[in-house]
Amino acid sequence: MLFITKSRVESTATEREDIMKLTRRLMVGGFIAAVSGIMPTFTLAQDNGTIAIITPSHDNPFFKAEADGAAAKAQELGYASMILVHDDDANKQSELFDSAIAAGVKAIILDNAGADASVAAVQKAKDAGIPSFLIDREITSTGVAVSQIVSNNYQGAQLGAEEFVKLMGETGEYAELLGKESDTNAGIRSSGYNDVISQYPDMKKVAQQTANWSQTEAYTVMESMLQANPGIKGVISGNDTMAMGAWAALEAAGRTDVIVVGFDGSNDVRDSIQKGGIKATVLQPAYNQAQQAVVQADQFIKTGSTGLDEKQLMDCVLINADNAAKLETFALAE
Amino acid sequence: MNRIPLALLAVLLTATLPACKIVKTDAGGTAANSAGEAGDDARIATLLDQTFATQLLPHVAERALPVADLRAQIAADLPAAAASHGHRGAGDGAAWNFAIRGEGRVTEANLESRARTAKLDTDGDGTADLTLQLGPVIKGTALRDFAPFYNFNDFRDQIEFAKLGRAINDRVSAGLTVPDGDLTGKTLRFTGAFDIKKPADPWLVTVTALELVP
Repeated sequence: MLFITKSRVESTATEREDIMKLTRRLMVGGFIAAVSGIMPTFTLAQDNGTIAIITPSHDNPFFKAEADGAAAKAQELGYASMILVHDDDANKQSELFDSAIAAGVKAIILDNAGADASVAAVQKAKDAGIPSFLIDREITSTGVAVSQIVSNNYQGAQLGAEEFVKLMGETGEYAELLGKESDTNAGIRSSGYNDVISQYPDMKKVAQQTANWSQTEAYTVMESMLQANPGIKGVISGNDTMAMGAWAALEAAGRTDVIVVGFDGSNDVRDSIQKGGIKATVLQPAYNQAQQAVVQADQFIKTGSTGLDEKQLMDCVLINADNAAKLETFALAE
Repeated sequence: MNRIPLALLAVLLTATLPACKIVKTDAGGTAANSAGEAGDDARIATLLDQTFATQLLPHVAERALPVADLRAQIAADLPAAAASHGHRGAGDGAAWNFAIRGEGRVTEANLESRARTAKLDTDGDGTADLTLQLGPVIKGTALRDFAPFYNFNDFRDQIEFAKLGRAINDRVSAGLTVPDGDLTGKTLRFTGAFDIKKPADPWLVTVTALELVP
């Protein structure tokens, strides 16, 4: 009895804290909305409760697009949003789940901090009666999250690799920049690339190294790769931020003849493509994906089912000079 | 009171145990979720040994529509054509997959690439209206995704499912005999599958049967 009372008090305290945080957020949101002349709809928003949106750091515009997409859809459907970042730290993610659970959110939209490490956090929410809807990255268990909506990274990587091979004229030395090892997508994209490229015997991979999705790391890695392999004709990168880093290093070395292909479909790479720098990337529909997760969460909250399979793939789209102009914030205009 | 259920249980156990012998798992453990990535190739090879020649190729051959028929139906109403003749790949934004058969004159062939292709004029207007993939590199997953018996959710993850696509293409490629010499001007008869997302998308056909028409 005492235990229950105590834990209630504790959770109320945490809740209060979170509600205060939330209120602060809403006030900031309200201020922005007021400045831009849009009437805030918070009364309505609060009617349906709050949805937590947990992603990696917004330093990468991809994750910001996810959070923005989810928050916009949440507001449209009458929910407030609680936007949190785990910085790819599974411990921090676990704490954020605790906060979200304590705040009594109706659902959690998650781009997770590790395929294995995140299972426990999602399970914890499930045990507390809070459904999770995963975007972008898969976790290694099924039946824990309600939905796992992920980009078809393999299909996307194959598109990117096919374009890369074509640009390379099916022949020559190239290097591969790999993503962060704990992220399943790093491995999936790399196998997608190699599955295609290995079918062309005249394509020769002379270097392969991780730059941990990071632009600055990619710059340094590219510099040393170039020194060791001056004959490089192309670089295929696991994401766009690394492609940007590699391109900067190539420019600095006066090697703008090198063909660079990225992955994600960021505005930075779009701009580079339009200026004749990086040659291609593969768009992951991040904004749309996050919105769909919220739609499914809403459906689940209201009816107890999404009516869909847990694992859902979304196709990626090749972006090159032909369609780059139609790309904006991880969405392609029709 | 306790004795009857116990006795019943005993009877049930003896009666059901033989039936419970898990023979099924041995025979049907083809696309199982259980095994890890290391077993993918062997598992997929087994699955294709069981399904490629006996189900997939016959399925494509039976469902293949004449090019002109399908083209007219797609032009009129893609969702309707897809509902009656197509099959959609897994996931949002996935393409529709169709099977076709026909013949046409080769207007242009690229036999230099590892991904050899031949452009075909099937309606006799002098311009190519579809492209045949002649291997050895075959792109896409049209064959895998045309088959209703390969389901994404039966596979561990997108990697295993992608490996199935690649393995199917490899089998197709291995079974394909491309006529020698320059193909331009020659007539080819084919059966195969392709995928499109929009009615105007070009048709890139994964060929399951190919012959030179004399």
